Amino acid sequence: MTELTEEQVRSELELVLERRSADTRLTTMGAGSDDLEDGRQYLAGTVDGGWHVPTWPHEHGGRGASPSQNALIGRLLREFIVPDLYPFAIGLGMVGPALLAHGTQKQQDDWLRPIASGSSIWCQMFSEPEAGSDLANVALKADRDGDEWVLSGQKTWTSRAMWADWAICLARTDPGQPKHKGLTMFALPIDTPGVDVRPLTQMNRDAHFSEVFVENARALDAWRIGDIGEGWRVAMTVLAHERAGGGSRGGGDGNARGIRVPGWISDLRDLGVAEDRLWQNEVVKIYSHDGVSRWTSQRAADEARASGAPGPAGSGAKLRSVKSYKDRAYLSNRSAGCYGMLSDGHGYIETMTAPSMSIRGGTDEIQRNILGERVLGLPGEPRLDRDVPWNESRRGLL
Amino acid sequence: MTELAEVDPLVTETADRLFTQVCDHEAVQTAEAVGTAPEIWSAFAETGFPWISIDETCGGSGGTLLDALEVLRLVGYHAAPIPAAETGILGGWLLADAGHEIPEGPVTVLPNGATDVKGSLSGQEVTLTGTCIRVPWARMAERIAVLLEIDGQNMVASVDPNDCVIHTMTNMAGEPRDTVCFDNVKAPASSASEANPETFRFRGALSRSALMAGAIEKMSQLTVTYTNDRVQFGRPVARFQAVQQHLVWGAQEAALARMAAETAAREANRGLASFEIAAAKLITNQAAARATKACHQAHGAMGMTQEYPLHHYSRRLWAWRKEYGGDAEWSRWLGKAAVAQGAEGLYPLITGGSSVLS
Repeated sequence: MTELTEEQVRSELELVLERRSADTRLTTMGAGSDDLEDGRQYLAGTVDGGWHVPTWPHEHGGRGASPSQNALIGRLLREFIVPDLYPFAIGLGMVGPALLAHGTQKQQDDWLRPIASGSSIWCQMFSEPEAGSDLANVALKADRDGDEWVLSGQKTWTSRAMWADWAICLARTDPGQPKHKGLTMFALPIDTPGVDVRPLTQMNRDAHFSEVFVENARALDAWRIGDIGEGWRVAMTVLAHERAGGGSRGGGDGNARGIRVPGWISDLRDLGVAEDRLWQNEVVKIYSHDGVSRWTSQRAADEARASGAPGPAGSGAKLRSVKSYKDRAYLSNRSAGCYGMLSDGHGYIETMTAPSMSIRGGTDEIQRNILGERVLGLPGEPRLDRDVPWNESRRGLL
Repeated sequence: MTELAEVDPLVTETADRLFTQVCDHEAVQTAEAVGTAPEIWSAFAETGFPWISIDETCGGSGGTLLDALEVLRLVGYHAAPIPAAETGILGGWLLADAGHEIPEGPVTVLPNGATDVKGSLSGQEVTLTGTCIRVPWARMAERIAVLLEIDGQNMVASVDPNDCVIHTMTNMAGEPRDTVCFDNVKAPASSASEANPETFRFRGALSRSALMAGAIEKMSQLTVTYTNDRVQFGRPVARFQAVQQHLVWGAQEAALARMAAETAAREANRGLASFEIAAAKLITNQAAARATKACHQAHGAMGMTQEYPLHHYSRRLWAWRKEYGGDAEWSRWLGKAAVAQGAEGLYPLITGGSSVLS
């Protein structure tokens, strides 16, 4: 493929997208509207050019782009209006790359293009009441029955389940193996009989997370992703892509061409606090950290796409971008003074959402463990149940 | 030195028992959905607690300001969704100070004082015009105590909320913070004796410090309990050092906030306490920020849900932190007070507090 120039990419993107202006504001992940249409139109409009997932093969909705082309496209995309793709993010950023790494040809043919074009939404049935940070403790079981599997158990914190057409579901297929070994990954249509989605309301009033109850739901063996007992490996690919910020393209406002002042800062200016030197100091600190955070995320995402197997850089990127989000939210809310205490106050939804940022997608503590162990080579956390058969450790041996 | 007053242990015990009975997670959740909590208010009012520290001759329950603040600490500790501070040490105090009758029901106040409301006096009656936002529980108040300055004189008007237009609004915690419109509202008014915008502002800050100290303590306790129950990786998460660090943050912020709030309460009970109150509000504000971060993080996803009670405390703390002075306002006040003492006066100010300022 010949090298693309900035001008070529820009002129092609101009055919399908609108340019971003200084007034464009981003919505908060998961706490935005329930409107799926903007995202659908954007993805449907960009899929033929392969602009949103450039590194995917052309036949699956990408354009087979090299890492450097991908980085260029990503940068230029930020000059255009990219809607809140929150509903589509699991498919685009996590399931897609995992299918490219572990899926069969038929699975890729069937599922990837609908993800890229926005026609199918995926969710991720991983966490359970007893398997949060300790994800490998998953108890939802899958028993083989001929060409099918029978799934029973409970998932929780399943974001986007109410919009989803498909889920990827981590299940225990061999309870006699140690906890990381007896797991297998499945794809499952969310309307499969026996699957019941019940929304959980968060303190920011968002109800986009759900509990999912599964009772004797039948999955075809053809929907199994990866080998039996290899579920943990597939899950790690998915989570590494989550940390690396896959699917979050369009994030980080205000760095479009010609826009120097990000929206959150001009909003602060409108609140009349810009004269205050202490505030200026805080603003500049966050602005600088934001820049570093964006580049770190970009680097982690590019590395992930380039190698197809994201490394621990994603953990660093997630820690940074979470800190950025929280600092911005708290400063914005504080800047509104006593009016910030009202439920329609400046920065309300961001403040209510902020604590969850360092929890969802792997807590700060888990990310730091990953960095400590995999980057610095520090001694690992004690893992008492690592080599014990899962069904024995469950009986409280430890 | 005069003997330091102590909190009446019967007040602590009775208030704690009352709120434990009527103010569980579901009751607080329901109050937020409905907008008021008449049952909790009735149970509270029946004990006479709302009017502690207001003289019996004015229709109050007697008792000390220290006891009243202890009740507020427990209101915070139980996230009781009632206008306790407004009815007692803020609104009740204003009404009694100007010789108005104390009503049987809840009272509220205008948190900005009357900066957004103009009044004109004619004999014993004032006519009020203006709009005030963030008025706590105006929707259920029997009286609004309005402190205003007319011709250099501090006056308190006792307004019937039925004469006003009230738009319901809430704070981050879902507590009523209504918008009240005065359109030529007439109300009886009389001169204040010790109430003025400054003393009112300090009382407001004092009330919020007590509420916040209680809420931080409860949050810290919830977090210790939850992390001891929650098992991951084969053991309670409280056994992990990374989690223990959060627990320590929560506990030390709770201790710090309570110490600051109680010191301010004790000094206010004796008399002048501006330095201690300013310090207490700043300390509880900052403690709230650190404690909510630590406690939420230690709870993980469960702490973000409506079904688990942590949010009753964290959201209240975020809102109260901004009432009667945020961090910047009290930092400036304390900074100015310290600078005014000069280098040699700094240490005496820290050790002597408000007595040095007089």
